[in-house]
Amino acid sequence: MNNGKDVRSYKAQKVIDRMGQKLSRQIVGSLTACVHCGMCTDSCHYVLANPGDPTYAPAYKADLIRKLFKHHYDWTGKVFPKWVKAGSVYTDQELEELKDTVFGKCTNCRRCTINCPMGVDLATFNRMARGLLCHVGIMPEGVEYVAKEQWEIGNQMGVLKEDFIGTIEWQEEELQEEMQDPTAKIPIDKMNADIVYTVNPREVKHDPRSILDAAKIFYMAGENYTMPSEGWDMTNFGLFNGDDDLGGAVAARVYDNVRELKGKKLVMSECGHGYRSTRCEGPNWAKQDIEFEAESSVITMLRYIKEGKIKVDKTKNPGSYTFHDSCNNARSCGLTEEPRELLSLVVEDFREMYPNRAENYCCTGGGGAMSMSEYKSRRLKSGKVKAEQLSATGAKVVVTSCHNCVDGLTDIIGHYNVGMGVTQLVNLVANALVVDDRISENAMKYAGEEAVTA
Amino acid sequence: MSNILHFSEHTLQEIALVFMATVYFLRIKWFLKWTLGKERQPATGMGDTNPKKGARYSLGMIIKPWTMESTRTKPFMYAQFVLFHLGVVAAIALSFIIPYGPGLLKSAALVSAIQFMTGAAFIVGIMRIIRRISNPYMRAISSPDDHFSLILLTSWFAFASMAASNDISGGEGIMQTFFLLTAFFLMYVPFSKISHYLYYPFTRTYMGRSFGRRGVFPLRKKPAYDTV
Repeated sequence: MNNGKDVRSYKAQKVIDRMGQKLSRQIVGSLTACVHCGMCTDSCHYVLANPGDPTYAPAYKADLIRKLFKHHYDWTGKVFPKWVKAGSVYTDQELEELKDTVFGKCTNCRRCTINCPMGVDLATFNRMARGLLCHVGIMPEGVEYVAKEQWEIGNQMGVLKEDFIGTIEWQEEELQEEMQDPTAKIPIDKMNADIVYTVNPREVKHDPRSILDAAKIFYMAGENYTMPSEGWDMTNFGLFNGDDDLGGAVAARVYDNVRELKGKKLVMSECGHGYRSTRCEGPNWAKQDIEFEAESSVITMLRYIKEGKIKVDKTKNPGSYTFHDSCNNARSCGLTEEPRELLSLVVEDFREMYPNRAENYCCTGGGGAMSMSEYKSRRLKSGKVKAEQLSATGAKVVVTSCHNCVDGLTDIIGHYNVGMGVTQLVNLVANALVVDDRISENAMKYAGEEAVTA
Repeated sequence: MSNILHFSEHTLQEIALVFMATVYFLRIKWFLKWTLGKERQPATGMGDTNPKKGARYSLGMIIKPWTMESTRTKPFMYAQFVLFHLGVVAAIALSFIIPYGPGLLKSAALVSAIQFMTGAAFIVGIMRIIRRISNPYMRAISSPDDHFSLILLTSWFAFASMAASNDISGGEGIMQTFFLLTAFFLMYVPFSKISHYLYYPFTRTYMGRSFGRRGVFPLRKKPAYDTV
């Protein structure tokens, strides 16, 4: 394809052309402002786990994208290309090499971003580069598969509507049994509910217990809520593959269903990228403002305790716990204090992990890394930093508010024999619930209302 | 003072300044033509911050090294950064003081201060050159512009330090070189990474507004809640 670097492949040309459409002033600022000071280098868990290999350095990775911008869109790069390391791509092989970096050497965790003295947001333009490659079909197979499922079936794990409803009904039966209340419901498509509860498909497919736990909490709080039978997937692979169109379509699907059901508030279960995508980035991708409230279930659960809607007993969760901040929750959405406050209410022994909050290290499963099996060994190697961080706490269980992190941490804990369990806040809150005579006052009231309605 | 030194101190500097300002104007115009991405998301986070607060915090982080792990854990690097940039300020000030306010240099204290700042910046510059060449990470990310800009500034600091006394009794060579370097510096800056300060207010403001809206900035170190 490359005839002495003067002929460009179709895909390479498409990547360059599309870059011009994707550049915002914020991204151009980040592409222009780097001074190669190297202060970001140590902030990356890939660098720390691969000492001596500069190809993992954030600034090095950034330059692979930056060189294209300089060559094609920045006139200093056009005038003095070699002087400022401007360059282009000509072959599909070069695009594959770029893919290896933007997908396989970065989880878009944004740790370098908050450590850059200049305010360069590498993660944002790394995501842009992913989107450019996906646009021409160059992406890890797992990313392609998941994105396709989300486009075509409406959720990233390809759960069919019947299977979703079947799982919810199964959990409803479990709820009735546990609460000893045959009228207990997990409502689906209930109109005018105060809360429309959306989840991660992983919960439906691999972890239905967390749906049951959430249902128990809603039940005990006497909440008027519903789950939608469509648009229930609040995760969004558009964040990972850089496809704003996918991101917008998935987010709009969730928003539209909240509107159709005339729900008052959208509550998202514990998922870092889902929360960021649906709560923060979705309105931008979908180019629409959302008129209803949207919050993480962490905040909902915390409010229930504060308002006395549920009672919890922290002695029901014995043992020692630490908390892992999801990058998307903490570094991109500021959700750092509420999970800690909630955790401190449901466990007796909470031990802080260092560094934490916005400075926490990635679980290594961020940026869709869990779906990129070709980079698994690289991911596990980079997990050394996280494993050391976990071990240093001395805790027996790590709590996180992200399904992706649950999987990432479980892998790391197993690989490095850390000897810890992984759980989420919803599980701990449900376990700590104080159920007076199995049915609280609120639950009685709720059951009564349901009976009247029936 | 010879005619050639007078030309270097005045006419050449003025031409270089006009050139730099023109290119900067075009550069900013080019930058602003890019569409500013709209932020539609409702505010997140604890609710005790906002875009303006975030932007102020973001812009001020550079003078608060404890706010970033990268500067907090590398105090020596941060000290180098401070000295290097103080040297830039001192050298730029000197390039205006000598032609337009030479009387100020009768103050031995001012001369000593400028010599100290530019001298320290020169030493830091040498250290930075060594780091950029010897550190494999720095070598991998460096462009010819990075190397040249650093060498140019380090040389400029050396001559600024020597020129601070504004004494040409021993010859005009040092003064002449300082002003020629200054003129070259002014004309080269807009095309090099040295112009990073032009983008700093933009990048940090955009980042701060976004992170302020999301409750990330100001970064939290201690609990911001009262346990029930």
